[in-house]
Amino acid sequence: MTDVFIVGAGMIKFGRYPDRTYFQLGAEAALMALDDAGLGIKDVGAVYASSTFNAASMLGQKILQQIGQTGVPCINVSNACASGASAVREAFTGIKSGLYDIVLVVGAEKNPSGMLGGSPVDGPPPEGLFGSVTMPALFAEAGMVHTNAYGTTLEQFAQVAVKNHHHATMNPKAAYQKETPLDMVLASEMIAYPLTKLMCSANVDGAAALVLVSEKRARELGMARAVRIRGSAMASDVFEPRSPEMLEPNSVTRLAAARAYEMAGVGPEDLDLVELHDCFATAEILHYENLGLCAAGEAGRMISSGETALGGRIPVNVSGGLLSKGHPIGATGVANMIEIVEQLRGEVGARQVSGARIGMTHVLGFGGSSAAGVHIFEKA
Amino acid sequence: MENSTLAKPGTKVVRVGPDGSAWIEGYRCQACGAVVTVATMACRSCTSRTPPAAFRATDHGKLFSWAVVHRSYPGIAVPFVSAIVDLDDGLSLKGTLRNVEANALRSGMPVVVVLDDAGGTHDKHGASYVGFHFVPEGAHA
Ligand SMILES: [Zn+2]
Repeated sequence: MTDVFIVGAGMIKFGRYPDRTYFQLGAEAALMALDDAGLGIKDVGAVYASSTFNAASMLGQKILQQIGQTGVPCINVSNACASGASAVREAFTGIKSGLYDIVLVVGAEKNPSGMLGGSPVDGPPPEGLFGSVTMPALFAEAGMVHTNAYGTTLEQFAQVAVKNHHHATMNPKAAYQKETPLDMVLASEMIAYPLTKLMCSANVDGAAALVLVSEKRARELGMARAVRIRGSAMASDVFEPRSPEMLEPNSVTRLAAARAYEMAGVGPEDLDLVELHDCFATAEILHYENLGLCAAGEAGRMISSGETALGGRIPVNVSGGLLSKGHPIGATGVANMIEIVEQLRGEVGARQVSGARIGMTHVLGFGGSSAAGVHIFEKA
Repeated sequence: MENSTLAKPGTKVVRVGPDGSAWIEGYRCQACGAVVTVATMACRSCTSRTPPAAFRATDHGKLFSWAVVHRSYPGIAVPFVSAIVDLDDGLSLKGTLRNVEANALRSGMPVVVVLDDAGGTHDKHGASYVGFHFVPEGAHA
Protein backbone atom coordinates (compact mmCIF):
# COMPACT_ATOMS: atom_id res chain seq x y z
CA MET A 1 0.00 0.00 0.00
CA THR A 2 1.11 3.53 -0.71
CA ASP A 3 2.31 5.85 1.99
CA VAL A 4 0.19 8.97 2.50
CA PHE A 5 1.62 12.48 2.47
CA ILE A 6 0.33 15.92 3.38
CA VAL A 7 1.27 18.42 0.68
CA GLY A 8 -1.04 21.31 1.46
CA ALA A 9 -2.14 23.03 4.67
CA GLY A 10 -4.23 26.11 5.32
CA MET A 11 -6.11 27.63 8.20
CA ILE A 12 -7.80 30.93 8.88
CA LYS A 13 -7.03 32.94 11.99
CA PHE A 14 -9.28 31.58 14.72
CA GLY A 15 -11.74 34.02 16.27
CA ARG A 16 -15.32 35.20 16.02
CA TYR A 17 -16.81 35.64 12.54
CA PRO A 18 -20.38 36.82 13.14
CA ASP A 19 -20.83 37.98 9.53
CA ARG A 20 -19.60 34.81 7.78
CA THR A 21 -21.01 31.29 7.52
CA TYR A 22 -19.19 28.13 8.57
CA PHE A 23 -18.97 27.02 4.93
CA GLN A 24 -17.47 30.35 3.86
CA LEU A 25 -14.81 29.87 6.54
CA GLY A 26 -14.26 26.29 5.35
CA ALA A 27 -14.03 27.35 1.72
CA GLU A 28 -11.38 29.93 2.56
CA ALA A 29 -9.26 27.33 4.38
CA ALA A 30 -9.77 24.84 1.54
CA LEU A 31 -8.48 27.31 -1.05
CA MET A 32 -5.49 28.13 1.17
CA ALA A 33 -4.59 24.43 1.43
CA LEU A 34 -5.01 23.84 -2.32
CA ASP A 35 -2.88 26.89 -3.10
CA ASP A 36 -0.26 25.66 -0.64
CA ALA A 37 -0.17 22.34 -2.50
CA GLY A 38 -0.09 23.95 -5.94
CA LEU A 39 -3.33 22.16 -6.83
CA GLY A 40 -6.87 23.13 -7.79
CA ILE A 41 -10.20 21.71 -6.74
CA LYS A 42 -10.39 19.89 -10.13
CA ASP A 43 -7.40 17.77 -9.03
CA VAL A 44 -9.17 16.51 -5.93
CA GLY A 45 -10.67 13.00 -5.99
CA ALA A 46 -12.68 13.16 -2.78
CA VAL A 47 -13.59 15.59 0.01
CA TYR A 48 -14.01 14.83 3.72
CA ALA A 49 -15.52 17.68 5.70
CA SER A 50 -15.68 17.76 9.51
CA SER A 51 -17.91 19.76 11.79
CA THR A 52 -19.41 18.82 15.14
CA PHE A 53 -22.40 21.12 14.78
CA ASN A 54 -22.82 21.46 11.01
CA ALA A 55 -21.88 18.12 9.43
CA ALA A 56 -25.56 17.23 9.04
CA SER A 57 -26.09 20.26 6.83
CA MET A 58 -23.74 18.87 4.13
CA LEU A 59 -20.85 21.13 5.01
CA GLY A 60 -18.54 19.68 2.34
CA GLN A 61 -21.01 20.18 -0.49
CA LYS A 62 -21.65 23.73 0.67
CA ILE A 63 -17.90 24.35 0.52
CA LEU A 64 -17.83 22.93 -3.01
CA GLN A 65 -20.69 25.28 -3.94
CA GLN A 66 -18.28 28.06 -2.98
CA ILE A 67 -15.15 26.78 -4.72
CA GLY A 68 -16.26 24.43 -7.53
CA GLN A 69 -18.80 21.61 -7.82
CA THR A 70 -16.77 18.82 -9.39
CA GLY A 71 -19.10 15.96 -8.46
CA VAL A 72 -16.52 14.06 -6.40
CA PRO A 73 -17.50 11.92 -3.41
CA CYS A 74 -18.01 14.24 -0.45
CA ILE A 75 -18.39 12.81 3.04
CA ASN A 76 -19.40 14.86 6.08
CA VAL A 77 -18.02 13.74 9.41
CA SER A 78 -19.21 14.48 12.93
CA ASN A 79 -17.47 12.79 15.88
CA ALA A 80 -17.55 15.38 18.67
CA CYS A 81 -14.14 16.99 19.23
CA ALA A 82 -12.54 14.14 17.27
CA SER A 83 -14.39 15.11 14.06
CA GLY A 84 -11.37 16.61 12.32
CA ALA A 85 -9.07 13.70 13.09
CA SER A 86 -11.82 11.32 11.98
CA ALA A 87 -12.05 13.07 8.60
CA VAL A 88 -8.29 12.86 8.14
CA ARG A 89 -8.32 9.21 9.12
CA GLU A 90 -10.98 8.50 6.46
CA ALA A 91 -9.00 10.41 3.84
CA PHE A 92 -5.89 8.45 4.83
CA THR A 93 -7.83 5.19 4.46
CA GLY A 94 -9.13 6.21 1.05
CA ILE A 95 -5.65 6.92 -0.27
CA LYS A 96 -4.13 3.83 1.36
CA SER A 97 -6.77 1.70 -0.33
CA GLY A 98 -5.84 3.07 -3.75
CA LEU A 99 -9.27 4.58 -4.35
CA TYR A 100 -7.99 8.16 -4.42
CA ASP A 101 -4.71 9.93 -5.19
CA ILE A 102 -5.62 13.39 -3.89
CA VAL A 103 -8.06 14.09 -1.08
CA LEU A 104 -9.11 17.39 0.48
CA VAL A 105 -10.00 17.48 4.19
CA VAL A 106 -11.74 20.57 5.58
CA GLY A 107 -12.80 21.18 9.16
CA ALA A 108 -15.02 24.20 9.77
CA GLU A 109 -17.01 25.33 12.77
CA LYS A 110 -19.00 28.13 14.19
CA ASN A 111 -19.41 27.15 17.82
CA PRO A 112 -22.58 27.95 19.72
CA SER A 113 -21.85 30.60 22.33
CA GLY A 114 -21.98 29.95 26.04
CA MET A 115 -20.94 26.96 28.07
CA LEU A 116 -21.02 23.63 26.27
CA GLY A 117 -22.48 20.61 27.99
CA GLY A 118 -25.12 17.92 28.07
CA SER A 119 -28.61 18.02 26.61
CA PRO A 120 -31.87 18.13 28.56
CA VAL A 121 -33.71 14.93 29.50
CA ASP A 122 -37.21 14.10 30.72
CA GLY A 123 -37.92 15.30 34.22
CA PRO A 124 -36.45 18.30 35.98
CA PRO A 125 -33.42 20.00 34.43
CA PRO A 126 -30.52 17.91 35.79
CA GLU A 127 -27.89 20.61 36.15
CA GLY A 128 -27.20 21.24 39.83
CA LEU A 129 -29.72 18.60 40.97
CA PHE A 130 -27.62 15.64 39.84
CA GLY A 131 -24.16 17.13 39.80
CA SER A 132 -23.04 19.06 36.75
CA VAL A 133 -23.04 18.18 33.07
CA THR A 134 -20.98 21.20 31.99
CA MET A 135 -17.72 20.39 30.25
CA PRO A 136 -15.61 22.33 32.80
CA ALA A 137 -17.14 20.24 35.61
CA LEU A 138 -16.50 16.99 33.74
CA PHE A 139 -12.86 17.85 33.18
CA ALA A 140 -12.50 19.13 36.74
CA GLU A 141 -13.75 15.76 38.01
CA ALA A 142 -11.28 13.97 35.73
CA GLY A 143 -8.46 16.22 36.92
CA MET A 144 -9.27 15.67 40.59
CA VAL A 145 -8.61 11.97 40.05
CA HIS A 146 -5.02 12.91 39.24
CA THR A 147 -4.84 15.21 42.24
CA ASN A 148 -6.22 12.50 44.51
CA ALA A 149 -3.77 9.90 43.18
CA TYR A 150 -0.62 11.99 42.84
CA GLY A 151 -1.11 15.27 44.66
CA THR A 152 -1.17 17.35 41.49
CA THR A 153 -1.76 20.96 42.52
CA LEU A 154 -3.96 23.82 41.35
CA GLU A 155 -0.77 25.68 40.43
CA GLN A 156 0.43 22.81 38.23
CA PHE A 157 -2.85 22.76 36.31
CA ALA A 158 -2.60 26.55 35.99
CA GLN A 159 0.93 26.29 34.60
CA VAL A 160 -0.54 24.53 31.55
CA ALA A 161 -2.54 27.68 30.79
CA VAL A 162 0.48 29.92 31.39
CA LYS A 163 2.52 27.85 28.92
CA ASN A 164 -0.06 27.57 26.17
CA HIS A 165 -1.06 31.22 26.31
CA HIS A 166 2.64 32.09 26.12
CA HIS A 167 3.09 29.86 23.07
CA ALA A 168 0.13 31.56 21.37
CA THR A 169 1.83 34.96 21.57
CA MET A 170 4.09 33.60 18.82
CA ASN A 171 1.18 32.34 16.65
CA PRO A 172 -0.49 35.08 14.59
CA LYS A 173 -3.41 32.73 13.79
CA ALA A 174 -4.21 32.07 17.45
CA ALA A 175 -7.45 33.59 18.72
CA TYR A 176 -5.62 35.15 21.68
CA GLN A 177 -2.04 36.42 21.80
CA LYS A 178 -1.73 37.48 25.38
CA GLU A 179 0.62 36.44 28.16
CA THR A 180 -1.22 35.10 31.21
CA PRO A 181 1.18 34.87 34.17
CA LEU A 182 0.41 32.34 36.90
CA ASP A 183 -1.20 34.89 39.22
CA MET A 184 -3.51 36.01 36.41
CA VAL A 185 -4.58 32.43 35.64
CA LEU A 186 -5.23 31.74 39.33
CA ALA A 187 -7.12 35.02 39.79
CA SER A 188 -9.42 34.56 36.81
CA GLU A 189 -12.98 33.46 37.51
CA MET A 190 -13.24 30.04 39.14
CA ILE A 191 -15.50 27.96 36.89
CA ALA A 192 -15.23 24.46 38.38
CA TYR A 193 -12.39 23.89 40.82
CA PRO A 194 -9.57 23.41 39.85
CA LEU A 195 -10.42 25.11 36.53
CA THR A 196 -10.44 28.88 36.26
CA LYS A 197 -11.66 30.64 33.13
CA LEU A 198 -8.16 30.92 31.67
CA MET A 199 -7.78 27.13 32.07
CA CYS A 200 -10.75 26.50 29.74
CA SER A 201 -10.45 26.38 25.97
CA ALA A 202 -11.26 29.42 23.87
CA ASN A 203 -14.69 28.93 22.29
CA VAL A 204 -14.21 30.45 18.82
CA ASP A 205 -14.97 29.95 15.13
CA GLY A 206 -12.40 28.57 12.74
CA ALA A 207 -11.54 26.48 9.72
CA ALA A 208 -8.56 24.40 8.69
CA ALA A 209 -7.81 22.25 5.64
CA LEU A 210 -5.26 19.69 4.48
CA VAL A 211 -4.46 18.10 1.13
CA LEU A 212 -3.46 14.44 1.38
CA VAL A 213 -1.89 12.57 -1.54
CA SER A 214 -0.44 9.20 -2.46
CA GLU A 215 3.33 8.72 -2.62
CA LYS A 216 3.20 8.78 -6.43
CA ARG A 217 1.54 12.20 -6.44
CA ALA A 218 3.81 13.47 -3.69
CA ARG A 219 6.84 12.62 -5.78
CA GLU A 220 5.33 14.37 -8.82
CA LEU A 221 4.54 17.47 -6.76
CA GLY A 222 7.94 17.50 -5.05
CA MET A 223 8.86 16.16 -1.64
CA ALA A 224 10.61 19.28 -0.32
CA ARG A 225 7.66 20.36 1.86
CA ALA A 226 5.86 17.01 2.07
CA VAL A 227 5.05 15.42 5.42
CA ARG A 228 4.50 11.67 5.73
CA ILE A 229 1.66 10.31 7.88
CA ARG A 230 3.38 7.48 9.70
CA GLY A 231 0.56 6.58 12.05
CA SER A 232 -3.18 7.22 11.84
CA ALA A 233 -5.29 5.74 14.60
CA MET A 234 -8.76 6.15 16.04
CA ALA A 235 -10.40 4.49 19.02
CA SER A 236 -13.85 4.41 20.54
CA ASP A 237 -14.24 4.01 24.27
CA VAL A 238 -14.03 0.61 25.92
CA PHE A 239 -16.00 -0.31 29.05
CA GLU A 240 -15.01 1.71 32.09
CA PRO A 241 -17.04 1.07 35.24
CA ARG A 242 -17.78 4.75 35.97
CA SER A 243 -18.41 5.82 32.39
CA PRO A 244 -20.47 7.61 31.18
CA GLU A 245 -21.53 8.92 34.62
CA MET A 246 -17.96 10.14 34.72
CA LEU A 247 -15.93 11.36 31.77
CA GLU A 248 -13.17 8.81 31.09
CA PRO A 249 -10.61 10.46 28.80
CA ASN A 250 -7.75 8.13 29.58
CA SER A 251 -8.25 4.59 28.29
CA VAL A 252 -9.61 5.69 24.90
CA THR A 253 -6.60 7.96 24.40
CA ARG A 254 -4.21 5.21 25.46
CA LEU A 255 -5.80 2.81 23.01
CA ALA A 256 -5.51 5.23 20.08
CA ALA A 257 -1.94 6.13 21.03
CA ALA A 258 -0.86 2.49 21.23
CA ARG A 259 -2.26 1.88 17.75
CA ALA A 260 -0.58 4.97 16.32
CA TYR A 261 2.80 4.13 17.85
CA GLU A 262 2.56 0.59 16.51
CA MET A 263 1.63 1.70 13.00
CA ALA A 264 4.38 4.33 12.97
CA GLY A 265 7.02 2.04 14.45
CA VAL A 266 8.14 4.75 16.86
CA GLY A 267 7.82 5.41 20.58
CA PRO A 268 7.25 8.49 22.72
CA GLU A 269 11.02 9.00 22.96
CA ASP A 270 11.13 9.61 19.19
CA LEU A 271 8.69 12.54 19.26
CA ASP A 272 10.01 16.08 18.84
CA LEU A 273 6.72 17.82 19.61
CA VAL A 274 3.07 17.08 20.39
CA GLU A 275 -0.19 18.93 19.80
CA LEU A 276 -2.66 17.35 22.23
CA HIS A 277 -6.26 18.02 23.22
CA ASP A 278 -5.97 20.68 25.94
CA CYS A 279 -9.69 21.45 26.01
CA PHE A 280 -9.07 22.16 29.70
CA ALA A 281 -5.79 22.47 31.59
CA THR A 282 -6.52 19.29 33.53
CA ALA A 283 -6.80 17.36 30.26
CA GLU A 284 -3.28 18.28 29.18
CA ILE A 285 -1.87 16.88 32.42
CA LEU A 286 -3.77 13.60 31.97
CA HIS A 287 -2.69 13.24 28.36
CA TYR A 288 1.05 13.57 29.10
CA GLU A 289 0.69 10.19 30.73
CA ASN A 290 -1.92 8.80 28.34
CA LEU A 291 0.37 9.50 25.37
CA GLY A 292 3.39 8.05 27.16
CA LEU A 293 5.29 11.35 27.35
CA CYS A 294 6.04 10.57 31.00
CA ALA A 295 5.41 7.84 33.54
CA ALA A 296 2.25 7.60 35.64
CA GLY A 297 2.16 10.34 38.26
CA GLU A 298 4.94 12.37 36.59
CA ALA A 299 2.77 14.86 34.70
CA GLY A 300 2.70 17.50 37.44
CA ARG A 301 6.47 17.47 37.69
CA MET A 302 6.68 17.55 33.89
CA ILE A 303 4.73 20.81 33.53
CA SER A 304 6.50 22.44 36.49
CA SER A 305 9.95 21.61 35.14
CA GLY A 306 9.27 23.22 31.75
CA GLU A 307 9.82 19.99 29.83
CA THR A 308 6.74 20.62 27.69
CA ALA A 309 7.40 24.30 26.97
CA LEU A 310 9.06 25.51 23.78
CA GLY A 311 12.76 24.78 24.28
CA GLY A 312 12.01 21.90 26.65
CA ARG A 313 12.50 18.17 26.17
CA ILE A 314 9.16 17.56 24.43
CA PRO A 315 7.27 20.78 23.61
CA VAL A 316 3.48 20.40 23.82
CA ASN A 317 0.93 22.70 22.19
CA VAL A 318 3.43 25.15 20.77
CA SER A 319 0.59 26.54 18.64
CA GLY A 320 -1.10 27.80 21.80
CA GLY A 321 -3.40 24.81 21.89
CA LEU A 322 -7.13 24.85 22.40
CA LEU A 323 -6.63 27.09 25.42
CA SER A 324 -5.32 30.03 23.40
CA LYS A 325 -5.17 29.26 19.67
CA GLY A 326 -8.81 28.27 20.14
CA HIS A 327 -11.20 25.38 19.84
CA PRO A 328 -13.56 25.56 16.83
CA ILE A 329 -14.63 22.03 17.64
CA GLY A 330 -14.93 20.28 14.28
CA ALA A 331 -11.88 22.08 12.90
CA THR A 332 -9.64 21.47 15.91
CA GLY A 333 -8.31 18.08 14.85
CA VAL A 334 -7.30 19.41 11.44
CA ALA A 335 -5.75 22.54 12.89
CA ASN A 336 -3.47 20.68 15.29
CA MET A 337 -2.14 18.68 12.34
CA ILE A 338 -1.41 21.91 10.48
CA GLU A 339 0.79 23.03 13.37
CA ILE A 340 2.77 19.80 13.16
CA VAL A 341 3.04 19.99 9.35
CA GLU A 342 4.31 23.56 9.45
CA GLN A 343 6.71 22.78 12.32
CA LEU A 344 8.18 19.81 10.42
CA ARG A 345 8.58 22.05 7.38
CA GLY A 346 10.35 24.63 9.57
CA GLU A 347 7.94 27.42 8.64
CA VAL A 348 6.58 28.76 11.92
CA GLY A 349 9.10 31.45 12.85
CA ALA A 350 9.53 32.36 16.53
CA ARG A 351 7.79 29.25 17.87
CA GLN A 352 9.82 26.82 15.74
CA VAL A 353 10.91 23.64 17.55
CA SER A 354 14.46 23.38 16.28
CA GLY A 355 15.25 20.23 14.37
CA ALA A 356 11.68 18.94 14.56
CA ARG A 357 11.42 15.71 12.56
CA ILE A 358 8.60 13.66 14.14
CA GLY A 359 5.42 15.06 15.66
CA MET A 360 2.16 13.78 17.10
CA THR A 361 -1.39 15.08 17.23
CA HIS A 362 -4.16 13.94 19.59
CA VAL A 363 -7.83 14.78 19.99
CA LEU A 364 -10.47 13.52 22.37
CA GLY A 365 -14.15 13.75 21.55
CA PHE A 366 -16.77 13.39 24.27
CA GLY A 367 -20.54 13.43 24.13
CA GLY A 368 -21.70 10.84 26.64
CA SER A 369 -19.28 8.46 24.95
CA SER A 370 -15.77 9.00 23.62
CA ALA A 371 -13.60 9.01 20.51
CA ALA A 372 -9.87 9.54 20.35
CA GLY A 373 -7.63 10.19 17.36
CA VAL A 374 -3.83 10.03 17.39
CA HIS A 375 -1.65 10.73 14.34
CA ILE A 376 2.13 10.62 13.95
CA PHE A 377 3.90 12.62 11.25
CA GLU A 378 7.43 12.70 9.88
CA LYS A 379 9.23 15.12 7.62
CA ALA A 380 9.45 13.34 4.25
CA MET B 1 -55.32 8.92 31.80
CA GLU B 2 -52.52 11.46 32.04
CA ASN B 3 -53.62 13.23 35.20
CA SER B 4 -51.90 10.97 37.71
CA THR B 5 -50.26 12.89 40.48
CA LEU B 6 -48.21 9.94 41.74
CA ALA B 7 -44.53 10.78 42.09
CA LYS B 8 -42.37 9.99 39.02
CA PRO B 9 -38.68 9.20 38.64
CA GLY B 10 -36.80 12.46 38.27
CA THR B 11 -33.74 10.90 36.69
CA LYS B 12 -32.84 7.67 34.92
CA VAL B 13 -31.58 5.64 37.90
CA VAL B 14 -34.57 6.32 40.18
CA ARG B 15 -37.48 3.87 40.41
CA VAL B 16 -40.81 4.58 42.13
CA GLY B 17 -43.01 1.69 43.30
CA PRO B 18 -46.82 1.67 43.18
CA ASP B 19 -46.86 2.44 46.92
CA GLY B 20 -44.74 5.54 46.37
CA SER B 21 -41.54 4.00 47.73
CA ALA B 22 -38.44 4.93 45.75
CA TRP B 23 -35.01 3.43 45.19
CA ILE B 24 -31.96 3.54 42.92
CA GLU B 25 -31.72 0.78 40.34
CA GLY B 26 -28.63 -0.58 38.60
CA TYR B 27 -27.97 -3.45 36.20
CA ARG B 28 -25.38 -6.20 36.72
CA CYS B 29 -24.08 -8.62 34.10
CA GLN B 30 -24.55 -12.21 35.28
CA ALA B 31 -21.56 -13.31 33.18
CA CYS B 32 -18.84 -10.81 34.12
CA GLY B 33 -20.27 -8.74 36.97
CA ALA B 34 -20.05 -5.40 35.15
CA VAL B 35 -22.50 -2.84 36.59
CA VAL B 36 -24.16 -0.07 34.58
CA THR B 37 -26.87 2.53 35.16
CA VAL B 38 -29.16 1.69 32.23
CA ALA B 39 -30.71 -1.41 30.67
CA THR B 40 -28.78 -2.62 27.64
CA MET B 41 -29.45 -5.37 25.08
CA ALA B 42 -26.15 -7.13 25.81
CA CYS B 43 -23.35 -6.55 28.29
CA ARG B 44 -21.30 -3.58 27.13
CA SER B 45 -18.25 -5.01 28.88
CA CYS B 46 -18.11 -8.73 27.99
CA THR B 47 -20.76 -8.70 25.20
CA SER B 48 -22.80 -11.48 26.84
CA ARG B 49 -26.19 -11.61 25.13
CA THR B 50 -27.92 -12.15 28.45
CA PRO B 51 -29.01 -8.62 29.36
CA PRO B 52 -27.59 -7.35 32.66
CA ALA B 53 -30.17 -7.86 35.42
CA ALA B 54 -31.77 -5.06 37.40
CA PHE B 55 -30.91 -4.79 41.11
CA ARG B 56 -31.87 -2.42 43.88
CA ALA B 57 -28.73 -0.48 44.78
CA THR B 58 -27.43 0.14 48.26
CA ASP B 59 -27.52 3.69 49.59
CA HIS B 60 -23.96 3.53 50.92
CA GLY B 61 -20.90 4.43 48.92
CA LYS B 62 -17.60 6.29 48.73
CA LEU B 63 -16.70 9.57 47.06
CA PHE B 64 -14.39 8.94 44.09
CA SER B 65 -13.96 12.37 42.51
CA TRP B 66 -15.70 15.73 42.32
CA ALA B 67 -15.80 19.25 40.95
CA VAL B 68 -16.73 22.28 42.99
CA VAL B 69 -18.87 24.11 40.45
CA HIS B 70 -18.75 27.90 40.68
CA ARG B 71 -20.26 28.76 37.31
CA SER B 72 -23.06 26.79 35.74
CA TYR B 73 -25.93 27.49 33.37
CA PRO B 74 -27.87 30.71 33.98
CA GLY B 75 -30.22 30.40 36.94
CA ILE B 76 -28.50 27.41 38.56
CA ALA B 77 -27.51 28.10 42.17
CA VAL B 78 -23.76 27.89 42.78
CA PRO B 79 -21.48 26.79 44.25
CA PHE B 80 -22.31 23.11 44.49
CA VAL B 81 -20.32 19.89 44.53
CA SER B 82 -20.70 17.63 41.50
CA ALA B 83 -19.69 14.22 42.83
CA ILE B 84 -18.83 10.82 41.41
CA VAL B 85 -19.73 8.19 43.98
CA ASP B 86 -18.99 4.45 43.90
CA LEU B 87 -21.80 2.66 45.73
CA ASP B 88 -20.65 -0.29 47.79
CA ASP B 89 -22.37 -2.82 45.53
CA GLY B 90 -20.73 -1.60 42.34
CA LEU B 91 -22.95 1.10 40.82
CA SER B 92 -21.24 4.44 40.16
CA LEU B 93 -23.39 7.57 40.11
CA LYS B 94 -23.01 11.25 39.45
CA GLY B 95 -24.94 13.48 41.83
CA THR B 96 -24.80 16.57 43.95
CA LEU B 97 -23.03 16.19 47.29
CA ARG B 98 -24.55 18.42 49.95
CA ASN B 99 -23.77 19.32 53.57
CA VAL B 100 -20.00 19.37 53.12
CA GLU B 101 -17.35 22.08 52.99
CA ALA B 102 -15.17 22.07 49.87
CA ASN B 103 -11.99 21.75 51.92
CA ALA B 104 -13.36 18.67 53.69
CA LEU B 105 -13.77 16.69 50.47
CA ARG B 106 -11.61 13.56 50.37
CA SER B 107 -11.46 10.73 47.88
CA GLY B 108 -12.86 7.63 49.58
CA MET B 109 -14.97 9.50 52.15
CA PRO B 110 -18.14 7.54 53.00
CA VAL B 111 -21.34 9.06 51.66
CA VAL B 112 -25.02 8.14 51.74
CA VAL B 113 -27.65 8.42 49.01
CA VAL B 114 -30.68 10.47 50.02
CA LEU B 115 -33.78 10.22 47.85
CA ASP B 116 -35.44 13.64 47.59
CA ASP B 117 -38.09 15.67 45.78
CA ALA B 118 -35.82 16.61 42.85
CA GLY B 119 -35.73 20.29 43.67
CA GLY B 120 -39.46 20.51 44.27
CA THR B 121 -40.30 20.41 40.57
CA HIS B 122 -43.58 19.04 39.19
CA ASP B 123 -44.78 17.93 35.79
CA LYS B 124 -47.65 19.71 34.03
CA HIS B 125 -50.20 17.53 35.84
CA GLY B 126 -48.82 18.37 39.25
CA ALA B 127 -46.96 15.12 39.83
CA SER B 128 -43.78 15.47 41.83
CA TYR B 129 -40.45 13.94 40.82
CA VAL B 130 -38.18 11.76 42.93
CA GLY B 131 -34.51 12.61 42.73
CA PHE B 132 -31.49 11.97 44.91
CA HIS B 133 -28.42 13.61 46.35
CA PHE B 134 -25.49 12.53 48.49
CA VAL B 135 -24.49 13.59 51.99
CA PRO B 136 -21.42 12.60 53.98
CA GLU B 137 -22.13 9.59 56.18
CA GLY B 138 -23.25 10.82 59.58
CA ALA B 139 -24.36 14.21 58.20
CA HIS B 140 -28.04 13.41 57.67
CA ALA B 141 -30.51 16.29 57.60
ZN1 LIG C 1 -20.61 -8.87 31.09
